[in-house]
Amino acid sequence: MLVNLDPTDARPLYLQIMDEVRRALVVGTLRAEDPVPSVRELAAELVVNPRTVSQAYRELEREGVLYVRRGQGTFVASGARGDRGEQLALARAVAKRALLDARRNGLGVDELVMTIREVAADEDTATGPSVPALNQSENE
Amino acid sequence: MSRVTVADAMPETCAVTTRGLSKRYDDEVALDAVDLQVPDGAVFVLLGANGAGKSTALKLLLNLERADSGVAEVFGLDTGRHGPQVRAQVGYVPERHDAGYPWMTCGRLLQHVAAYYPAWDHGYAEQLISALDVRRERRIGGLSKGDTRRLQLVLALAHRPPLLLLDEPTDGLDPIVRKRVLALLAEHLADSPTTVLITTHHIHEVESLADHVGVLRAGRLVAQMTRDALQRTVRRYRIELPDGWEPPRDLVVASPRAGRATREVQWTVVGEEREVTDRLTGSGARVREVTSLALEEAALALLPDDGAR
Repeated sequence: MLVNLDPTDARPLYLQIMDEVRRALVVGTLRAEDPVPSVRELAAELVVNPRTVSQAYRELEREGVLYVRRGQGTFVASGARGDRGEQLALARAVAKRALLDARRNGLGVDELVMTIREVAADEDTATGPSVPALNQSENE
Repeated sequence: MSRVTVADAMPETCAVTTRGLSKRYDDEVALDAVDLQVPDGAVFVLLGANGAGKSTALKLLLNLERADSGVAEVFGLDTGRHGPQVRAQVGYVPERHDAGYPWMTCGRLLQHVAAYYPAWDHGYAEQLISALDVRRERRIGGLSKGDTRRLQLVLALAHRPPLLLLDEPTDGLDPIVRKRVLALLAEHLADSPTTVLITTHHIHEVESLADHVGVLRAGRLVAQMTRDALQRTVRRYRIELPDGWEPPRDLVVASPRAGRATREVQWTVVGEEREVTDRLTGSGARVREVTSLALEEAALALLPDDGAR
């Protein structure tokens, strides 16, 4: 599992860590029963107060995403996988960033959406679709 | 600028508390009625320009210098009356690189300090010595700034004190060693419950380790809050202005950056986002964009940009 913290992101660090774990579940780099790094390891890697990592793990445990096996460490719960809700939450975050950037450049929503489709179509004809589509069950 | 405090849910116990702590050197005010609160288990970064009073604050906490007035407490002990007991519980990296004992070798000083602390962890000291590449046979007088810092860090950490006071701990370290030191600190905190008070004028050097931030300006503590509160409270606004616009009064603008020709300004403003936006909108301006800032930028907004202390 790769966890990246964005220094310009004003969200609390423990939330960023939680989101990174969820993202790893959605994209499949983290799966049920996988071990996650120890608090100590992740704190040293990210250079954060270990209490921040503990807080993120504790919240994820409460949500049923992670569980602690006594003396063995922390693992991904068997029921946990990147579900539709988490996928949508990630999509919303991406959309917000894109919108912010678009507004800064004086672009409207329609212009942005249209251009995204165009660029995606261009890329597909060039290389074929490589990223799993998000719109498998669009209507829910 | 007025004092910024954010009523965050402060934990009930503090490792370090000062009340009205003041210190002058001749005519110069070093600390002016400082009420500092460092919660248990926090990594508290005290930020300020050179000469803002950061080092003085740490020295008063250790009773290495006497306060003119006010109280400093470490774990509930009055530092003015219980200096030795307080110092026994603190790992200290001093501001100065000339650690004294220039004739001694590093190995001899390590032995000397180890004997002073009953809690000295010899195994851990060995790990630190090798991780930080401290050479026992070298004489202290011949060490470079970076060498001295690494030795000082071993001395501060190896007895696993409940409080670390680190005065510019990364000063003199190259970027690779700095990264290693910060990772070591994170591991240290995971292994032994510790409160850390770090002073620096380069907050980016301690990166994400900080979870509380205090800002000293000319001896006054103008802000202390959690990292999250700081990033929530200081934001950058892009504002479109009508002709003849007057800014709302009492708006704490840290860094105006005007683009007059375009009728658009970019300001860093201190305050809750909704409130600031409401006031700007109420004054006739249009808020086009609000962005959050990296911790360092947010903290710098609370420091004067005129170089004054």
